[in-house]
Amino acid sequence: MIAAPEPNTVRRWCSRLARVLLLCMFGAIAHAADPAKSLRVTFMAAETGFDPVKTSDVYSGTVIEAIFEPLLTYDYLARPARLVPNTAESLPLVADTGRTYTLKLKKGIYFADDPAFKGKQRELTAEDYAYTIKRYLDPKNRSPYSFLFEGKIAGLDELAAQAKKSGRFDYDAKVPGLEVSDRYTLRIRLKQTDFNFSHVLAFSQVGAVAREVVEAYGDDINSHPVGTGAYRLKRYVRSSKIVLEANPRYRGRTWDFAAGDDPRDREIVAQMKGKQLPLIGTVEISIMEETQSRWLAFERGETDIEYQLWEVAPKYMTADGKLRPEFAKRGIKLDRSVDPEIIYMHFNTQEKIGDEPNPLGGFSKEKIALRRAIAMAYRIDDQLRIIRQGQAVKAEYPIPPGVAGHDPYYKSSIRYDPRTANALLDKFGYKKGPGGYRTQPDGKPLVLQFWSIPIERDRQFDEVMKRSLDAIGLRVEIRKERFAELIKLDKQCRLMMHNSAWIADYPDGDNFMQLLYGPNTGQSNSACYRSPEFDRMYEKSRMLPDGPARNKLYHDMTRLMEVHTVWILEDSRYRNVLLQPYVVGYKRHPVMHAEWMYVDLAAKRGN
Amino acid sequence: MFAYVIRRLWQMVPTLLGVVLLVFGLFNFVGGDPAYLLAGKISNPEQIENIRRQLGVDQPYYVQLWIFLKQIATGDFGVSWATNERVSAIFATRLGPSLTVLLPLLVIDTLLAMAAAMLVAYMRGSLTDRLVMIGCTVGQSVSILVYIIVLQYVLAYQLGWFPVQGWGNNLAENLFRFSLLPIIVGVVVSLAPDTRLYRSFFLDEINQDYVRTARAKGMGEGRVMWVHVLRNASIPIITNVMIQLPGLLAGAFLIERFFSIPGIGREVILAVERSDFPVIKAITIYVAIATMVINLLADLLYKAVDPRVQLK
Amino acid sequence: MSELVIAGRNVPRARSPGLWVLAWRRFGRDRVGVVSLAVVVFFCALMTASGLNLIAADWAQEAGVNYAPPTFMGPDAVEAEAVTPPVAQPAGGERAESSDIVDPLADVLAEIRRDPAAVAPPAPKAATLPFGGDKWGRDVLKKVIKGTQTSMFVGIAAALLATLLGTVFGALAGYYGRAVDDFFNWFYSIFTSVPYLLLILAIAAVLNQKGTLTVVLILGLTGWPGIFRLVRAEYLKHKAREYIQAADAIGASHRRRMFVHILPNVSHVILVQLSLHVVLFIKSEVILSFLGFGVGVDTVSWGSMLNEAQSELILGKWWQLVAATAAMAALVTAFSLFTDALRDALDPRLK
Repeated sequence: MIAAPEPNTVRRWCSRLARVLLLCMFGAIAHAADPAKSLRVTFMAAETGFDPVKTSDVYSGTVIEAIFEPLLTYDYLARPARLVPNTAESLPLVADTGRTYTLKLKKGIYFADDPAFKGKQRELTAEDYAYTIKRYLDPKNRSPYSFLFEGKIAGLDELAAQAKKSGRFDYDAKVPGLEVSDRYTLRIRLKQTDFNFSHVLAFSQVGAVAREVVEAYGDDINSHPVGTGAYRLKRYVRSSKIVLEANPRYRGRTWDFAAGDDPRDREIVAQMKGKQLPLIGTVEISIMEETQSRWLAFERGETDIEYQLWEVAPKYMTADGKLRPEFAKRGIKLDRSVDPEIIYMHFNTQEKIGDEPNPLGGFSKEKIALRRAIAMAYRIDDQLRIIRQGQAVKAEYPIPPGVAGHDPYYKSSIRYDPRTANALLDKFGYKKGPGGYRTQPDGKPLVLQFWSIPIERDRQFDEVMKRSLDAIGLRVEIRKERFAELIKLDKQCRLMMHNSAWIADYPDGDNFMQLLYGPNTGQSNSACYRSPEFDRMYEKSRMLPDGPARNKLYHDMTRLMEVHTVWILEDSRYRNVLLQPYVVGYKRHPVMHAEWMYVDLAAKRGN
Repeated sequence: MFAYVIRRLWQMVPTLLGVVLLVFGLFNFVGGDPAYLLAGKISNPEQIENIRRQLGVDQPYYVQLWIFLKQIATGDFGVSWATNERVSAIFATRLGPSLTVLLPLLVIDTLLAMAAAMLVAYMRGSLTDRLVMIGCTVGQSVSILVYIIVLQYVLAYQLGWFPVQGWGNNLAENLFRFSLLPIIVGVVVSLAPDTRLYRSFFLDEINQDYVRTARAKGMGEGRVMWVHVLRNASIPIITNVMIQLPGLLAGAFLIERFFSIPGIGREVILAVERSDFPVIKAITIYVAIATMVINLLADLLYKAVDPRVQLK
Repeated sequence: MSELVIAGRNVPRARSPGLWVLAWRRFGRDRVGVVSLAVVVFFCALMTASGLNLIAADWAQEAGVNYAPPTFMGPDAVEAEAVTPPVAQPAGGERAESSDIVDPLADVLAEIRRDPAAVAPPAPKAATLPFGGDKWGRDVLKKVIKGTQTSMFVGIAAALLATLLGTVFGALAGYYGRAVDDFFNWFYSIFTSVPYLLLILAIAAVLNQKGTLTVVLILGLTGWPGIFRLVRAEYLKHKAREYIQAADAIGASHRRRMFVHILPNVSHVILVQLSLHVVLFIKSEVILSFLGFGVGVDTVSWGSMLNEAQSELILGKWWQLVAATAAMAALVTAFSLFTDALRDALDPRLK
């Protein structure tokens, strides 16, 4: 339970007076949040905590997004996602061929009140962002997002190395790459050219934290998030309920986004323009793991927004992607967009797995042929139709829609063609053995392994894989392993075939192409794909901003990945967001998930 | 008596040590490495090493085992690896919701089962008895999973009599609104087996000599049941309920999962999925100790009520 | 020994029937018991026939359309149009991107494409099936039959394993007493103190393979404590009896005494426990499936069917749920009633 104890009476009245004066000085009410307006939403898995540096799951991340503010953010309506300043006055001044980023903070932004501030108002300064970034490389924090800053900022890695040796991170040390030239100015110096660094600065988990708060709460920081954002944590029952309330110290903002090409934008602009944000006073998040519970809760009006209902899509959607008439009649709204993610199956392309030879690894013609045949036999239509129930688009390109670098016209050169797959295997000597299954060309038995986790949903993927491979006479063993163990095996390059998903951390194609970069083997390159040709093209692409030149490189890289058949691209899911009739101004953003401060509730049920 | 209690407490030590070794051995050799899970989407071997160092799993086994033993002695199992919440806090907060559902469930189920069992024991051999028993058997043959799914769908969704899931802010709301459907489901599932079991307890008593004597004395059947049989059969019934309690706490995960109740059973599944060793350690030790202590209490209760019982 | 010789006169003496004969006669008089036995035998026959692939061998075939409704309900009109939902494709054709990347398989593929070969048309899919189809269009009725085979096999095999372990441990503990008994009691208390979920997980983790055998092992290795306790109590009781003292007098070894003398006298208890555990394990398999420790992809059991049915119910497709529940209810009820009748027949005091 979070409860802010009152400072002593005199100070209380003085600070109240000061607050009122301040408000009057700025002429407008800081925010118009109506505490009676309460938005009820759900998460389908438990959060882990709210220290931005320590968590990596999307649910914790969503709450963190509502509480903390990074320097930059994204325009609510613009698609593809467009960077706009947040606590910074304007977009960063990029100099030195993408190596120096200078940002000036807005003045007069305050952290939410907290006992750690000892009763004083706490203004946001550039030093806070330097501190926030330093925390990512503190070994004690073991941050899953340290890769965002590792090896990038001048002087920071050296400080981290020192911390490993001494056991304590020196936050007071000056880092040349994080120069705080005055109270509101931050200059970041990178070791290499990086045109995507602004996206890192817009990442919701790089929101400013106050040093006093971190030091005051120590290990308990996970349940004491204190930020400058629109909301603060009011009530917290772990793995069960999270209640956010509008942050009284929030500077407020006016809803002033411009309509884009999307026809829905006009309606949203008409409804929301000029309103003071945030409008919603309370956000109540319940953790509901079972789909049936979430669906029933929404259907009965117990929740306001629901976006995790893939399995029951046929209940509220027709086959052609529209809301069923009985729900449309009730005024329920549907917001449909493709998530910036790809689901893909990766082959282990190494020659050996552990100490055993890998039957489908390597780049000889016959190995490539084996992988190609599998890719051509994969029944993607079954997956889209039966598992996804029509709620996904086939992925043709490694970069999904909504992400810079996506090409909507690109078609993969690998198509579903089991006949050719069979012929290919015949031609390369994978003859059928006595058991009816194909053997390797040298006569040794051929047994493939497909790994997944022991949950019902993965069982369906197992079935698709088994059917696909049975159709071309290949024997596959379905290996089950718990999620934690599977991650470990994945990073150790011990999985022969495995389904993976990647959702954009930031809306740039580089975030996806790095999945095939050789040196990322053991980290994010699950296929353990090491191709000098690919790596060369990737490194060149990093030196280019988004544009035709980079897109050409991406095309070639994709073709290379196809002819080497490293992945089977599967699909990207639709994100169907169901909204009760009184939810106004909603448009699903590809990377911002906490849209709560941008929406409104029209006059409705009394709550 | 005192010597017996001391001896039983003393006997718990080897059992506890056995449990410790079992949990420790299993977790370390087959429990899965949490470092990779905590490391996030992108990580390198160096980061994995750092995480393992922070968690303390890079230390030699005997050091870790010693730390484990110390933790048991102090009752402080540290913090959860996944959420950094203090393990003791996890238990303190999750126990409440679990008990809010379990205690009323046990009370209602026991009373109903006792009533039903006494009734059929009274009418043993008759058609009613046989029909009720067959009914119980059929009821028992349907999986709890089916009961949960169907009851939630029909009672909560179709008829709207209860909330579909969730948990509230205060005890009253939790008890009278959110616990109702879970309790109903729990009672429906446990009523059949408990009725059968208690019926056999009652029949055991009815077949005893003192009942025959009471009848010979001219006592009416009803009085025989209420005054004699019920009292004597209560003991195995109550001890049966007591012994089930620790197992139920950890085992109620199905109900907690479907109804989103933040209880201990749900915590167990979460901890297992995340390879969160401190939480797994704590739950195992607590349940083990609770089981042993409650078994001891049950035996003492037997002795207190029936002086013929020899405690050895 | 069947004739008592009294000085000069042979008095024919009726052969007194043994425990089993008497039990069988008593059992025969219990109508409910006989009917349940018949049902159980029917299911066993089903299990064997399915196991020998005489029936339901093609359960995995996609015989019907997805979620084909049962024949008595008539085909779904709406489903027909939803066979292939249009996958969103942007307007505009393929832009021929020229790329310098060469495909190592280019020539082989070109060669294959030049060969026209007949492609067999896909087999037509039925619009309805006798008791409906699951999400892949597999016949639910055939799945239930195949599921019977798997679930019964799991139940029986696991119960045999648990009974074997429980009996051996119980015999050793009850017979030898003292240190041996202490050891087994210690082992028993550990097993019963650790929460069931963790125990299952531990065993499942050790046996890396997932599959029917793993399920049998998980259930068998965690299910012996109940039997152990009972068998041990019986052995403690019998060890003090006179006939064992007599056996000792004639020089029977410990092993012989344990298994040749006492065991037959305890077998009725063990048999009832075996029967009870078969029922228990069939039900536990469902929970294991829910937790993800069930049978593999190419096997179907009642647990896997109920697991699938969970998400189907909310879409209004109830037939898999009903079929699996009904089959399981029938067998479990019959088996339970049979066990009750068996127990009553073997131990008539408990009437």
